[in-house]
Amino acid sequence: MTEIKIEMKNISKIFETDDVETHALKDVDIVIRAGEYVSIAGPSGCGKSTLLSLLGLLDMSSAGSYTIEGLDVSSLSLDQAAAIRNEKIGFVFQAFNLIDELSVFDNVALPLQYKKELPTDEFIKARVETCLKMVEMSHRVNHKPNQLSGGQQQRIAIARALVADPAILLVDEPTGNLDSQSGDTVMAVLAQLNKNGTTICMVTHDARYADMANIQLRLLDGQIVKDESLKVAV
Amino acid sequence: MRKLIVRHTQAWASLKKKPGFVLTVFLTMGITLGALLCAVTLNYLLLVEPLPYPDQDRLFVAKHGLLGAKNETKGVAFTYPGLVHLYKSNEAFEQAAMMIYDADVIISHNSQPLVNIAYVTPELHQILASPMALGRTFDASEAMDTNNPVAMLSYHTWQQEFNASADILEQKINLSGVSYRIIGVLAEHFVEPELAVTGRKTQVWLPWDYNQTGAGQRQSFGNINGGLQFIGQLKADVSQSQAEQLLTPLVSERWQQGVADIGFFKGWSINIRVRAVKEVILGQSESIAVMLLTGVVGLVLIACANIANLFMARTAEKQRQMAIQAAIGATKKHLFKGMLAETSLLMFMAIILALMLAKIGFYIMQQYLGAVLPRVNELTLNPITFASAVLVTIVFALFFAKLSTRMINYRALNSTLQSSGKGSGLQVSKKTRQILIASQVALATVLVFANFSLLKDAVKTINAPIGFTTHNISTLVLNFSSTDSPSQQEARPIMAQIMEKLEALPQVASLSQSGSPLDGFGVRALTNVANNERYTPYFKGVDHVYFNMIEQQLLQGDNFTLVDRRDNTNVMIVNRAFAKQLKADGDVLGLHLSTGAPDPFKIVGIVKDIAIPGDTAIGKDSAAAGVPRAYVPNPLGGQTFMLKLNPDQSVSRQQLGKLLAEVDSRYSVFSFNAASDILTQSLFAEITTAVTTAVLASLVFLLAGIGLYGILSYGTQLRRFELGARMAIGATRKHLVSMIIVDNTKPVLVGFIASVVLFALTYIGLSEYMQPLLNWQVLPLVLATLVLIILVTLFACYWPLRQYINQPAIFSLRGSD
Repeated sequence: MTEIKIEMKNISKIFETDDVETHALKDVDIVIRAGEYVSIAGPSGCGKSTLLSLLGLLDMSSAGSYTIEGLDVSSLSLDQAAAIRNEKIGFVFQAFNLIDELSVFDNVALPLQYKKELPTDEFIKARVETCLKMVEMSHRVNHKPNQLSGGQQQRIAIARALVADPAILLVDEPTGNLDSQSGDTVMAVLAQLNKNGTTICMVTHDARYADMANIQLRLLDGQIVKDESLKVAV
Repeated sequence: MRKLIVRHTQAWASLKKKPGFVLTVFLTMGITLGALLCAVTLNYLLLVEPLPYPDQDRLFVAKHGLLGAKNETKGVAFTYPGLVHLYKSNEAFEQAAMMIYDADVIISHNSQPLVNIAYVTPELHQILASPMALGRTFDASEAMDTNNPVAMLSYHTWQQEFNASADILEQKINLSGVSYRIIGVLAEHFVEPELAVTGRKTQVWLPWDYNQTGAGQRQSFGNINGGLQFIGQLKADVSQSQAEQLLTPLVSERWQQGVADIGFFKGWSINIRVRAVKEVILGQSESIAVMLLTGVVGLVLIACANIANLFMARTAEKQRQMAIQAAIGATKKHLFKGMLAETSLLMFMAIILALMLAKIGFYIMQQYLGAVLPRVNELTLNPITFASAVLVTIVFALFFAKLSTRMINYRALNSTLQSSGKGSGLQVSKKTRQILIASQVALATVLVFANFSLLKDAVKTINAPIGFTTHNISTLVLNFSSTDSPSQQEARPIMAQIMEKLEALPQVASLSQSGSPLDGFGVRALTNVANNERYTPYFKGVDHVYFNMIEQQLLQGDNFTLVDRRDNTNVMIVNRAFAKQLKADGDVLGLHLSTGAPDPFKIVGIVKDIAIPGDTAIGKDSAAAGVPRAYVPNPLGGQTFMLKLNPDQSVSRQQLGKLLAEVDSRYSVFSFNAASDILTQSLFAEITTAVTTAVLASLVFLLAGIGLYGILSYGTQLRRFELGARMAIGATRKHLVSMIIVDNTKPVLVGFIASVVLFALTYIGLSEYMQPLLNWQVLPLVLATLVLIILVTLFACYWPLRQYINQPAIFSLRGSD
């Protein structure tokens, strides 16, 4: 049996304002195993981004249990959640979220700077170079993000997400800010990474890119309505 | 015009939605500009505005400079006959007047008020062209030697003491047994030249002939009197230095003839020092006013930096609105005009508040700083205030509008709309933010340090040990309401009876027939009989109880006795400073000092030094400590007393008046004041400085804190998505707090360095004033300033950050994705 990377059971998320309770997610169950490429699709406002936030420990669920590589992460302090994110999760955002003042090298190396024990400079250099090579951006190592195209910035963001060797790569609308050609390039990079064994969970509303995943989840009104896990054999 | 109205209406509608922003700008700029208008008006009044007298640039004051054998200054004051000689000489001045300041009780008045008197010759009010509310000023019929007993009242005295009585003219008032007919009341807007004491207002003007100078002093060229004044209008063709050259030989020659038989003055001479009246009135106040203006300008700069931050934040907030305006055809100029409408509305509101606060500030200055700053009574909202108000309104409105529009990248505004408002397309560059932080830190450091220094000096003076006690001690001075002063022989039994009655009062613990050290010392010329060396120590007649009552320690020798006083024994007690002046080892017991009279004084005791605020050694500018003083036994007929009261006891002026009347109805209370009150009054300038600087330091610190918080908070706000991204990839709160602190360390350090450079430049420019301030004692102040600024910076780094780092990471990222 392939190792379970992520397991969510009965996860709910309720947003409360003064008088109104909004159920963003209701009793969601998800299991993602090592090497899987999962896409989460659905209409706007269905809870995709909320689900990805919970998967990435960017936010905490209102109910349910959540484990990453067997470790219960259902109720963590802010700093504990940060440590888990650093160690086990790699993020790719729609808007790239690179830091303008840092070079490509420093942006990619950033997660390593937040490790409990700071790796040696040699390790950091080697690891950054490896990740940039994976996304075919080694030639831009000394550039600043604003000197790169959107597609290139997203590939740098992917390299940054990979640098700490996470258990899973969480990808949020990776092509949302890109033209179709750049989008295709980024998706090709992700497909290649998955082929090489990286576990990926991607939120998208683009059916074409959702189809590239071997497991497709569809969210509607905060609930999973379709599971096409058998589309591609793992 | 219609466009202008529409623009301002729209601007107001937009501002109304942000009451917090409007209130902050209104209050911050209103308060600081109010202070600025106060300081500008005061500086204009003191530095530029002419005195309110005709031909004021020809008005000069003359003084005797008393020069020793080596041409060193021994004192600057007239002798009575010397002054009269100068007045009569009629040289150099077109018109000149003599004047003596004094105080007396109006004994004919029901409440017997103590009033400030000026004995003057008629020319004074002619030179000043004094405006009258009623009647006339003195004329030739009240000139010197006419002995015409008339009086003029100040407007305030007429209002307060005589209830603005319509038939005040031709009424009579009695002072010291002389009945004066009131011939005039000065106008309310008459401005008295404050030649001797800032803030002193003459209440009753009397002819020169009635001044209280004793017959002996009137003839003596050997006695100087600091209260004698000479003011005149220089002839049109005579300059200041020509007047000095012309008058010096004339006066010196006469003086030397007058003191020819006094050995003490052998080799001494007189020179005449002519100073502009304006210069005399202003004294050191110009530098106080300039310092005040500098401090306020610093405050305005800090406030300006704070408000600039707010406007930048507001521009960032309005970027979508501006993008829409740009999309429908607004040019960059249109956007600037829109912003200018907002800034001018806000600055208009702020300047209205500032003018109101300036008016209140003038009132406060007139009430509390009248004794420190001259001419404050003339402060009013004048054309300069209004012109300054208009100027700062225009300058700041343009500055804030320009600063805000400079942030706008007009070309990038369209993309703001295209990206659906995601991300932050309009930001203040990191460099600009760092410059703002550095300038904020530099200004705050300089101002906080400067205020700390002033505060420290003022507190040091206030808390400096004076060397004697004022606890429960009051000074009583008697008034004798008759022209024929009693002789010592006549006064003795009366004073003995008065003292008996005073001692019998249950509230009185002990009694001394002396004035308190705070009532002042005279100056006496003394010659060391052994070596003919000459000295001019402060001099005071005291009784045998004096030193014990005020707890001034006798270090060596003996105290005076009652016998010394009764027999007028020529004994003297000196303080340690004078003893050391006389002999390096200070062992001066038995030494004889001569006043020129046949029998010299023998030193029988040495007492500890005392430090009276404001006292400096004669001819020196040094501080009060170490001022030479000599004490002799005073006669038994003296009319000044110190009463030591039992704890928590008090005696009223009325009670004392009744007691005196029981003994001899010719005596009344001239003054009765607690010594501690007199001490507080003499420290008024220092207390005012301490309070002002403490308030200013707190205000500066507060503004600096708000400013630093504002810019750091804005910086953090701009980095919200970056913070979210960092949190998403594993940054803990500690990582982020450290990062913000490290990022802000550089501009803070630059700010500190800039403040050092500012200090260095100030030191180069004002080394004369700065040199005494620079010593190792300022190190704790420097450290305290640095610690305070660092604490504020750390707080300003952490506090805005906490809203992001104490929430799940999605809170910071929300809106970006």
